[in-house]
Amino acid sequence: MKGIVLGQYYPADSVIHRLDPRIKIILALIYIVCSFLCRNIFSFVLLFMSSIVLILVSRIPLKIVFRSLRAIIFIMLFTAVLNVFWTKGEPENLLVSWKFINIYTEGIYNAVFIVVRIVSMIIGSSIFMTYTTTPIQLTDGIERLLSPLKKLHVPVHEFAMMMTIALRFIPIIVEETQKIMSAQKARGADFSSGSLMKRAKALVPVLIPLFISAFRRAGDLATAMTCRCYRGGKGRTKMTVLKCRARDYVMLAVSAAFTAAVVVINIYSFGYTM
Amino acid sequence: MTPVRIKMSKITVENVSYVYSAGTPFEVKALDDINLSIEENRITGIIGHTGSGKSTLVQMFNGLVRPDEGRILLDGADIWENPKEIGKVRFKVGLVMQYPEYQLFEETVKADIAFGPKNMGLDEDEIKNRVSECAGFVGLGQNELDKSPFDLSGGQKRRAAIAGVMAMKPEVLVLDEPAAGLDPAGRASIFDGIVKYKNSTGAAVIIVSHSMEDMAKYCDYLIVMADAKVFMTGDRDTVFSNSSQLENIGLDIPQITKVMTLLCEAGVNVSKSIYTVEDAERALLKLFGGVR
Repeated sequence: MKGIVLGQYYPADSVIHRLDPRIKIILALIYIVCSFLCRNIFSFVLLFMSSIVLILVSRIPLKIVFRSLRAIIFIMLFTAVLNVFWTKGEPENLLVSWKFINIYTEGIYNAVFIVVRIVSMIIGSSIFMTYTTTPIQLTDGIERLLSPLKKLHVPVHEFAMMMTIALRFIPIIVEETQKIMSAQKARGADFSSGSLMKRAKALVPVLIPLFISAFRRAGDLATAMTCRCYRGGKGRTKMTVLKCRARDYVMLAVSAAFTAAVVVINIYSFGYTM
Repeated sequence: MTPVRIKMSKITVENVSYVYSAGTPFEVKALDDINLSIEENRITGIIGHTGSGKSTLVQMFNGLVRPDEGRILLDGADIWENPKEIGKVRFKVGLVMQYPEYQLFEETVKADIAFGPKNMGLDEDEIKNRVSECAGFVGLGQNELDKSPFDLSGGQKRRAAIAGVMAMKPEVLVLDEPAAGLDPAGRASIFDGIVKYKNSTGAAVIIVSHSMEDMAKYCDYLIVMADAKVFMTGDRDTVFSNSSQLENIGLDIPQITKVMTLLCEAGVNVSKSIYTVEDAERALLKLFGGVR
């Protein structure tokens, strides 16, 4: 593994990158809901087209987007195959009938729809959230969106701070793990051969130093935060205050129009039954 | 007819290049067409500013990092010729990484030093001998050997970790910033241990450091790196006589050398090529006819 990239954030300069993280979280939710609202071929075409537009607007290279889809290719194929074989359609739409296997046109359609739905969902949520929003922005956005819960005495700020720290320390811990593994490899430790038991045992020389350094870091961080008078969320202001701009409202309006379009197309299927 | 004997370097680096995170927006060129040779029974120092590729280079010597291009030859044989055998290279080329005290994990210092030799499959007696011998190099006594490594002081931990690599008796000992963050006494005891190891085994020793004083004092040969390339090589006279070039790449010459250079330019009859305080003391005493 060469180099570590935290999450999948892809730095680029696009409208979507500049959106308010709160809006992006809402947009991602709307998009996922829309993908489930789609019922007929026209709405699915609209959904698929919108995914392509999103990729183009966000300036994320296609290669990167495909990489994240590759991870779920098995789930897509599995659900598609299930839909092909297990959808029962109108008798006149029977395509293949062999022993107990019956394939209907509806099954084929359903399989295609489900794949389009999954792909769009993944593209939509990752374009709005993971690719274009840094993890820190994302937790900031979540904190703000959940802040009404503070009235119910939910420690929203504390949760967000814990999440931020956890995210911040992932690359550090990964780097530390690699360093310790290298150091032990240099002393002849072998992590990649032998039985499962032997490999588990080989991890002891990595895990002990890793835990010790994680605790040391946690202690250091607590001291550093105390030194800077951190005392939780009460009365605390932000260095960067999230502010919705015109583009954020425009995007909300666009997504509202998109949702309306999907609903309308679902109702008026232009006399086409699929 | 006698066969022609060519003096072979212990390690030869041939046209080695390396890129981090290739094909992503975070791509960084760490090494760019490096050619080097490392000799036995000599302490070679690698100096260079942060990010010049030193650490990547030293991790290539024992096969922790595989070059994208080029070859690393150990005794004339490519270490990556058979990637499955890379483990054997790691016993021949011992690497002490930065802050090695964070790799300690055993219950006693003794057991931790024995971790490497145990992985080599040596027998108990040999392991015992090596542990006490290498603890001796770095100045750890029986008292420390029986303690938990987590009860040692920072400097002792560092020395225990270095002994843990020495105990494999590598033919090449590579140390990345072995004395970083230690007090002067701690630095001296670490470098003394390294010199003892070299004298006793005749190994090729490679040290990476930022301290020009330490490098001038202990190294027989210096390699200067800058921006992923080899900037300069030579003995310390050759390297430190180019102070202006070193300053251009963000490095320096030893403080005492600066002092002596200024004295020399002010008309005092001393040599410019003095690199340690001891040598300076001797030169000045000689100048004033004093004896110590």
